[in-house]
Amino acid sequence: MEKALTLPVTNENGYYEIRLESIGGLGANLCGKMLGELGAVYLGLNAASFSSYGSEKRGSPVKSYIRWAKAEDEIGINSPVETPHILGLFHEALAGKLPVTAGVTKDTKIVINTDASPDEVRKRLKLCGGEVFCVDALKIAMESKTRVNMVMLGAIAKAGGFIPMEAVEQLVQDTIGKKYPHLIQENLEGLRRGYSENQMAFFAEDGTYERVEYKEANNKWGYANAPIGGTNPRFGSTVSSDLSASRQGYIPLFIQDRCINCGLCDTACPDFVFQFQRGESNGKSIMRNMGLDYHHCKGCLRCVEVCPTNALVTGKEREHPNPQWAVRNQDLIAEHLEFEEVGANSWVTSKSHFTEKRMDGGVV
Amino acid sequence: MEQQRILFESGNEVAAYAAKQINYHIMGYYPITPSTQIAEFLDQMKADGEHEISMIPAEGEHSAAGICYGASTGGGRVFNATSANGLMYALEQLPVQSGTRFPMVMNVACRTISGPLCIKGDHSDIMFTLNTGWIIFFAHTPQAVYDMNICALKVAEQVKLPVIVAFDGFFTSHQKRRCMVFAEDKVVQDFIGKYEAVYSALDLEHPVSIGSYMNEPDVVNNKFQLHLAMEEAAKVIPQVFAEYEGLSGRKYTTAEGYQTEDAEVLLHLLGSSYHTAKVAVDRLRKQGKKVGVFTTNILRPYPADALYALCKNAKTILVGDRQDSYGAMGGNLSMELKAMLQERGATCRVLSRVYGLGGRDFYESEAEELFLSCFEENVPRFDYLGKYPGEEGLKEEQYFAPITEKDASPGMTTCIFEEKTGKYVVEGGKINDTTAMPKRLAPGHGACPGCGIPVNVNLLLRGIEGNVVLLFQTGCGMVVTTGYPKTAFKVPYVHNLFQNGAATLSGLVEMFHERQRRGEYPRGEITFVMVSGDGGMDIGMGSALGTAIRNHRLILFEYDNGGYMNTGYQLSYSTPKGAKSATSHVGPKQYGKTFFHKDMPQIMAAGGVPYVATVAESNPVDFIRKAAKAKAYAAKHGMAYLKALSACPLNWGDQPNLERKVIGTAVDCCYFPLYEVEQGITTINYDPGQRKPGIEEWFAMMGRTKHLTHESYREVVADIQNEIDRRWEVLKAKAANPML
Repeated sequence: MEKALTLPVTNENGYYEIRLESIGGLGANLCGKMLGELGAVYLGLNAASFSSYGSEKRGSPVKSYIRWAKAEDEIGINSPVETPHILGLFHEALAGKLPVTAGVTKDTKIVINTDASPDEVRKRLKLCGGEVFCVDALKIAMESKTRVNMVMLGAIAKAGGFIPMEAVEQLVQDTIGKKYPHLIQENLEGLRRGYSENQMAFFAEDGTYERVEYKEANNKWGYANAPIGGTNPRFGSTVSSDLSASRQGYIPLFIQDRCINCGLCDTACPDFVFQFQRGESNGKSIMRNMGLDYHHCKGCLRCVEVCPTNALVTGKEREHPNPQWAVRNQDLIAEHLEFEEVGANSWVTSKSHFTEKRMDGGVV
Repeated sequence: MEQQRILFESGNEVAAYAAKQINYHIMGYYPITPSTQIAEFLDQMKADGEHEISMIPAEGEHSAAGICYGASTGGGRVFNATSANGLMYALEQLPVQSGTRFPMVMNVACRTISGPLCIKGDHSDIMFTLNTGWIIFFAHTPQAVYDMNICALKVAEQVKLPVIVAFDGFFTSHQKRRCMVFAEDKVVQDFIGKYEAVYSALDLEHPVSIGSYMNEPDVVNNKFQLHLAMEEAAKVIPQVFAEYEGLSGRKYTTAEGYQTEDAEVLLHLLGSSYHTAKVAVDRLRKQGKKVGVFTTNILRPYPADALYALCKNAKTILVGDRQDSYGAMGGNLSMELKAMLQERGATCRVLSRVYGLGGRDFYESEAEELFLSCFEENVPRFDYLGKYPGEEGLKEEQYFAPITEKDASPGMTTCIFEEKTGKYVVEGGKINDTTAMPKRLAPGHGACPGCGIPVNVNLLLRGIEGNVVLLFQTGCGMVVTTGYPKTAFKVPYVHNLFQNGAATLSGLVEMFHERQRRGEYPRGEITFVMVSGDGGMDIGMGSALGTAIRNHRLILFEYDNGGYMNTGYQLSYSTPKGAKSATSHVGPKQYGKTFFHKDMPQIMAAGGVPYVATVAESNPVDFIRKAAKAKAYAAKHGMAYLKALSACPLNWGDQPNLERKVIGTAVDCCYFPLYEVEQGITTINYDPGQRKPGIEEWFAMMGRTKHLTHESYREVVADIQNEIDRRWEVLKAKAANPML
């Protein structure tokens, strides 16, 4: 082990804290573990890391927390990081209604996976202040055939300002190189490009936006009004969940005049996206495909694969912000629906081999 | 001191690491969050040839405990790990293990007991074990998990009692920390020494009968012996800790405290919260508040004297209970402390706060608030921390109108009994027409992109017109649909744990018929459908077979994705042989799962169920029609069992968009043949004939089986191919001969 690193700043408990906000499948859990290990094994610090937990589902919100302290100091706190020194945002779509920026101050370094500029990011995230590092991790990951987490790790190392890159490279060598020697060059390239290819801007707390305080999330139902026994009388209420953040950059596009209303898309869709209604075709009464409910489309593209007439094709989401034939779920009776960008269950219970598997190949 | 090295790992990982260093003979286990990783890490190390532990995946925790018990009567070392309802399911076996005095070690990563089902951490499970006769260690850091796992076995073997090493689920089981471990396994093995069992069922020269039939007056003496062993343990534990300190440099005591000496106010906490409170103590001490905190490292034998020495000077003690003994005005930690204080004539005030249930975080600020509340006079003796009443005057509209019987009966799929042939004939079930069926599930559920479960449940329900009531067993399908405060179900739905879903639905079906018979419920039909994963058909096999044999009028639908996917893909009995999973890793010493996939439809057919069928999304019309037929059988004849092969892109390691082809290939190669058994007569619904590809074609499509296409696994694949061909030939013979 090298000589112990001195932490440039710490909070009142003596910790340097990092919080990663991501969705399942982007590798934030592994990135968090690596940052913890970086501290404990490579930088001569004491360290702790953990992720938000639940059942393992791809495409749902995940948080990862890292604490560093002096080697001889105990880390007694096991609760989430409330005011991070570094905040890593792995997916832009998270910056919608989820309070991912809670605890940010002008002293926070915010590392975000985006193709936008720091100024735009500040506006979009309504950041009270802080040092914003923008890195197009998705693009870099695709080009260097690595994963978003490697690029983000590089950018986080850069943002920290005191983290020696040699130590990070050694960590990546040891973590990935040992098991996947054939992938090490791609991963190192992604890491290095994350370190070097980012734009930074500092924003003082000039009053443009308010601070967002960290809060434990409470639901509307409590002990005085929740139906007893956990019984849920609000049938079908997952409809208010918007799961579009699960998509990995692609959506199905509907070319209606090619559609023969065979209905195969509706047999293949796990998310009940297709809206069929009775109508006429060639003088016959049949069920017709009226369009897609994109709020619930997770972008799996099963429908594109089963469509026999190419009436459904793959499109890049960025290029089609308002796809044609977008309709809402036709069974809804509620007039107003406020969508929440959530996954019913997110989190990671098990490292198992999938975390490793996701390191395989260049699939982002 | 012996040489050690740093690991940056979680409590689960270091528990596994200690077990590897000990090199137990047998681990019997069943995966359950948050303890599952222990078996996973051991399996990985086994595949890499780092230990020799024989790892036995049971079909449920009750059997896992049985495997462990049986193994421990054979004179060797035995290991297990579990949590929550797994522990409850095994509970019956725990007094057997201790009462007959066979040592072993079991890790318990503590988790909330259902229901409602919660996978997060609290202490509601571990407190059930207080009366089982097991020694119970409680580790409050990953480091302590490692150290206590080593000490536990030595204590167990000295006093001939089994030992639990408990720790906080997630906070300790999953949080990665810097841990010191012995560089050489031999150091650990020398420390624990050689195990000499007092009695062994494998000792042929000295035959013994283990497990006597014993009533009064003898049971009193047997239990007093157990009590004496606990008293001995109270002496042995400090000795073992002291010896271990010499080896590791780390000191453990039965109970420990921080700033307790002059403290007026003390918190008594168990597990990781102890350390959080220490931070709060430091802060309040700076403000001149005389506060401290103490914990116990051992729950059994209860270290009363050590605890009293720590808290005897306090004026107020606040006990944080991470579980409640409902109606007793305190959790077990409170009650035990109060009993100890009363016995010693202490007059301090004791307050109880139930906190951190269901994995709710314990913040340092909350510890400070608890301390400060103890300086006040009028505070309740007992309360819950973190509760809230909810939004006052909350009015919420429904999103949907309930699905009526008329809505759900468009007449697109009909099944009629044909007198002349004595068979059911299904008409309709066309893809376009059946899009008219209302969806019984709402979108917005949290299944992974491309998941097969909603696809299969949707196809099933398309073929079932009229009223339905659903029951889901625990599994992915249930977790992704009912994350509180939301639910995806638009029709009545019940969940029960997966060893008991079929029995539960049996009860509901019979209540429906009985209330109809008594005229309390309107006439009419309801189709009762139970949905289970293949995991549920492992642990719940007994319940499902009991239901089949009793022949209740219901449909049992199994979605088989070949693994315990909800907990991160451990092998199930339906995982293909050779497939890799988190408990069947591939490495120099292991090629993946070592036994064939279970043939559940044939097991059900042997149970005499009136209708058994296999379905696949690649043949959607066949699927919908069989669903309609199952409905007809469930209405008139009894149980219908349907099984679908269900894609899991996350854990199969393939592309979500290609899943229908993957399923189609499994059907074509007859890994998953499409057939039905109607009143005992087999019909093959789809015969690929000459097109039937080899199993390798299917294996090549999935990351979990791709390795098998390498020539080094040729023999394994040939073995699997033979079994698939054999099952297919048997099916064809059955189809050709109605008597079979």
